[in-house]
Amino acid sequence: MAEWNAYYQNEDEDEEQEEGEQSGDYKVTGRDSLVFLVDASKEMFIKGEDGEPSNFDMTMQVVRSVYTSKIISSHRDLVALVFYGTEQSKNPRNSFKYVYVYHDLDEPGAKRVQEVDALRGEKGARLAAETMGSGETSLGDALWCCANLYSDIKLRLSHKRLMIFTCRDEPHRGDSAKDRQARTKASDLKETGVIIDLMHLMKPGGFDVAPFFRDIVSQPEDESELGLHLEPCDKLEDLQKRVRAKEQKKRAMARLNLCLGEGINVAVGIYATAVTARKPAAIRLYRETNEPVRSKTRTFHMQTGSLLLPSEIKKAQTYGKKQIVMERDEVDSIKKFQDPGLYLIGFKPMEKLKTHHHIRPAVFLYPEEGEVKGSACLFSALLMKCSERNVFALCRCVSRRNYPPRFVALVPQREEVDEGKVQFTPPGFNVIYLPYADDLRTLDPPQCPSASQIQVDKMKEIVSKLRFKYRSEAFENPVIQQHYRNLEALALDMMAPEDTEDLIMPKVDQINHRLGPLAEEFKDLVYPAGYNPESKSVAKRKTAIVGGVAEKKPKAEVPEDELRAHVQNGTLGKLTVPVLKEACKQFGVRTTGTKKQELIDF
Amino acid sequence: MKRWRAFSALVLCMDVGFSMSNSAPGEEPPFELAKKVIQKFVQRQVFAENKDELALVLFGTDSTKNPLDRDGQYQNITVHRHLMIPDFELLEEIENQVHPESQQADCILLIGIEALSNNTFNFTFQGIYSYLCILPYFCVLSLPFPAEDDEEGGGDSDRRGPGHPGTGKGLSREQKESLDLVKHVMLSLDEEDGLDQVYTFRDAIEQLCMFKRIERRPMAWPCQLTIGSCLSIRIVGYKAVTEERLKKMWVTVDAQSNQKEDVKRETVYCLDDDNETEVKKDDTIQGFRYGSDIVPFSKVDQDQMKYKHDGKCFAVLGFTKQNLVRRHQFMGSQVVKMFAPKDDEHAGVALSALIRALDELQMVAIVRYAYDRRSNPQVGAAFPCVKQDYECLMYVQLPFMEDLRQFTFPSLENNKKLSPSDTQLSAVDSLIDSMMLVQKDDDDADQKDIFKVHHIPNPAFQRHFQCLHHRAVNPGTPLPPMEPWLKAALERPDVISERCQAPLEEIKRKFPLIEVEKKKKLKTSAQIFGKDAEEPDAKKAKGDEEEDYNLADIAEGSVTSVGSVDPARDFRTLIKLKSLPFGEVCQQLTHRIEQLLSNKNTHYYMKSITCIQAFREQSVKVNKHSLSSFWEKLMMTWEFLKDEVEGSTVSKNEANQVT
Repeated sequence: MAEWNAYYQNEDEDEEQEEGEQSGDYKVTGRDSLVFLVDASKEMFIKGEDGEPSNFDMTMQVVRSVYTSKIISSHRDLVALVFYGTEQSKNPRNSFKYVYVYHDLDEPGAKRVQEVDALRGEKGARLAAETMGSGETSLGDALWCCANLYSDIKLRLSHKRLMIFTCRDEPHRGDSAKDRQARTKASDLKETGVIIDLMHLMKPGGFDVAPFFRDIVSQPEDESELGLHLEPCDKLEDLQKRVRAKEQKKRAMARLNLCLGEGINVAVGIYATAVTARKPAAIRLYRETNEPVRSKTRTFHMQTGSLLLPSEIKKAQTYGKKQIVMERDEVDSIKKFQDPGLYLIGFKPMEKLKTHHHIRPAVFLYPEEGEVKGSACLFSALLMKCSERNVFALCRCVSRRNYPPRFVALVPQREEVDEGKVQFTPPGFNVIYLPYADDLRTLDPPQCPSASQIQVDKMKEIVSKLRFKYRSEAFENPVIQQHYRNLEALALDMMAPEDTEDLIMPKVDQINHRLGPLAEEFKDLVYPAGYNPESKSVAKRKTAIVGGVAEKKPKAEVPEDELRAHVQNGTLGKLTVPVLKEACKQFGVRTTGTKKQELIDF
Repeated sequence: MKRWRAFSALVLCMDVGFSMSNSAPGEEPPFELAKKVIQKFVQRQVFAENKDELALVLFGTDSTKNPLDRDGQYQNITVHRHLMIPDFELLEEIENQVHPESQQADCILLIGIEALSNNTFNFTFQGIYSYLCILPYFCVLSLPFPAEDDEEGGGDSDRRGPGHPGTGKGLSREQKESLDLVKHVMLSLDEEDGLDQVYTFRDAIEQLCMFKRIERRPMAWPCQLTIGSCLSIRIVGYKAVTEERLKKMWVTVDAQSNQKEDVKRETVYCLDDDNETEVKKDDTIQGFRYGSDIVPFSKVDQDQMKYKHDGKCFAVLGFTKQNLVRRHQFMGSQVVKMFAPKDDEHAGVALSALIRALDELQMVAIVRYAYDRRSNPQVGAAFPCVKQDYECLMYVQLPFMEDLRQFTFPSLENNKKLSPSDTQLSAVDSLIDSMMLVQKDDDDADQKDIFKVHHIPNPAFQRHFQCLHHRAVNPGTPLPPMEPWLKAALERPDVISERCQAPLEEIKRKFPLIEVEKKKKLKTSAQIFGKDAEEPDAKKAKGDEEEDYNLADIAEGSVTSVGSVDPARDFRTLIKLKSLPFGEVCQQLTHRIEQLLSNKNTHYYMKSITCIQAFREQSVKVNKHSLSSFWEKLMMTWEFLKDEVEGSTVSKNEANQVT
């Protein structure tokens, strides 16, 4: 049986591959992990002026949002929440004082979200004081404890990150032994591949990274010292942004060569920066125990009932009444054109890239210096020159083995950083997939009169009234949010799911209010009196029915001899479904199908 | 709706008369060429699987068989096949039944028209748009169909290249028009140069090699564009661009009988236990993952609790600057064009006002779009599109917050090690110069694009049909190689290849690219511990199974010095690998032990004990007396420490154990 499983899994590989293309492959690289190491000292609980939330409160909000977003986008990632500077201790072997492991490394679930929720706000501060309290600080022990969390995990970890949230720049108040111990432990962690980030929070007098934390945190990848000069966060939004930027591991979907010409190969990684998040597929559970069941698909012979070996199966398609049969590996080989890679065809000015030439979301290209040394330099030169000259590179792209080629536009994107020196646009090429001739449909645009300048100007007023600054991260997907609210409610035995706001619903009242009389004025300019765009279509349909109803029904019959002629000439396809159904009845053939082909086959 | 289902009817007229068999020495007779052309053309039609019908009229035949055969008129003309959907049977008939004959005939056009118009079944054709005939020339006549899509505006609205004869749709609706057209064609034929698409046979074969591109009839999506609750405009959407897929899927068949009915696929559910106990589908329920939890959630509950909305809509949320909507953030797989309904000029004017306002302000509408009640609503942008002969809004889906992954990448420009020099940059400059895919016209107005991707048929489909056709006609033979024209269509144009030779050489000189040797192989734990030779297979298998990976193994990469995380293990590894001199490794370990002890903390003491154990164990094996000096020193330190941390968890016993 075991081999059978192995084989049939292969057959479904295609679908998996496509998914893999989007999300990167977990199986190969192992799990990502993230530890929140949060300072629980008294300073963290001091509330800001004007009732601003305390640093602790802010941190908990961020932790919660990371938990929920992990549940949606990457539930297999492991997350832990550890407090240091607590009075109580709670850790696996209870060998560390002042360290409280609130959540050890595991996939986040409903209960954990609830538990983090409990630490939010006024109530949360009280709960934290009761359960953990604030005591002495030993960051070294805390880091050691975190190191144990990592090493206790029996799964393969691919990416390990640790974020320290604190508002104290000298946690040990000058105790050099403790400082030294923390530094040693930090370097141990870094040595095992853990990346340590500091999410320093505002405190009166400013946060100085230099004396202590500079040696604790990991050097940024590019050594440009971005990150260390960051101002401390004092706003939730900033903190959220900073955490979000680091929380997800960049995972290359594929590593390819960008070939400029014979022997000039630049190694690049392809990254998916926007992937449609979908409601996850349902899992089948056994009714009695609620445990997940596995599905197995088998192929067997109808007559003999024996399982079919791969060699006993072929693939077929029917065209022009003829069945065409191929071997399974032939079907695969048809799809193969070239080996995976990007091949430069040439360059074109940016205006040759049409807005409407869009067939799938873009991906992002960044050099892989680790594969081919010198890649980053040539890549960077191409990027600078393409951007400067406002051109894009046209490439032929085979993204995986046995994938047919597509053409792509490599559109240069220069790096952009905000005032806080946080990068919001990374440097690299956006890869825009271009349509083939088959992908463009021929339309027949109606001939319509154009609007006059007065009408256009009135619309311009309307447009200006409803201006806003679009940000891509501003809209949540109401379908997915609702789904997870529902699950959350069920998982936590809540009475009703939390309300979700549908952010993509037009705020009708607000729009009406802002437009004021403009809407009416515009309508007066373009619509004649009595024209109602909402009801017109209905009215039209009515007249059509009046005119057409008489002939419509009885037409569904065709004389028998005519039918026979159709059958002989193979022109049955010309007839409509109702006619065919009628014909089937005529000949006493029972039909259940509604598809034309099914009917014809009779 | 039925009235709109226009499809085309084509009549192939082929001269099989005696003049077709004559040819200059060394050349294929016209008859053979004509037959090839016809075969290619019919193949295209068969695989296109549209409702286009095809008739075949042969003239110059010895016999006569046609509806106009009266009083000795229209002789030597055979209607080989009436209008119907072409199939492989027709292909085989052409192959086997059409032979050169010896008569001559004329008035073939009239027969052709007759074949088109005289449909026996009283069926009205809505569009007769193509007429194809074989004369000494091969010509494909198409009605002047609307300039394809919106292409480049001026300069490019010529016919869609000779590669796509007869792909237009929804054209002249009157039969009369086509008659007129044919007359017109006759006239222009006389003028010789009045016709674009007269091919010699040889050209025609090349052009027809391409299988027809996949076509879909546009589906109208009527809706209302709303701005608040007071202003709405009637619109009709059509999918304009989308990644087309093959219409047919592969079916699994039994290898012996080639019958799909012989093969049955069945899915069973089983528990995840050792016996893989099967359970019935009825005994399963549906659940969803919420992080680590699996929540049972029945379909009924799900439907009741799921997000519901009012159905079809195209509602403006607001307007924003075009440059805030980044091209690379386009989501989904399609572009929908929104027009006003055909018969509603008021809607047309209102929509035009919006389109032009947006165009002049360089803005877009951000809208909520829902196809219908069952589908999920989207957020998207409606771009204005103003062309010479029409205006429309182009809708593209935009991302939700959940879709975005904000990755940061190391800066390229701020990194001095990576930044290119001026000479390197100028090498790239001249490469770009030599590889520009546009050519300036003489009058300097327009740039001509010499590599239009959207004119290339999807090579996957072309190859697919080529192989299917081959297998259908030549069963039992291996699949053919890729057709040369298809290969060429995917390559760099020759002009560019030539021009870029020198600049590429320059790039090669200026930018050293060195493939980094894969370290991955070195990383397997087997090799680290040097067990590779002893038990290669067992170890490898274990490595593949992963699961019980321990953290340090993965993080390790290769051990090059005694680190602080697990000095004892590093020490052992290094001794085994013999990559460093024994003395140096010992020194490193000693150093680590000293560091550990200086921390004055129980945990560190424990760690140092394991180090000392390792030290001892290795030194016993190696048996080098040079160690004894350190050993003595160490013992002294140890004694000293024991005193200092009196009452610590390190008992005398433990200390003695070490020694």
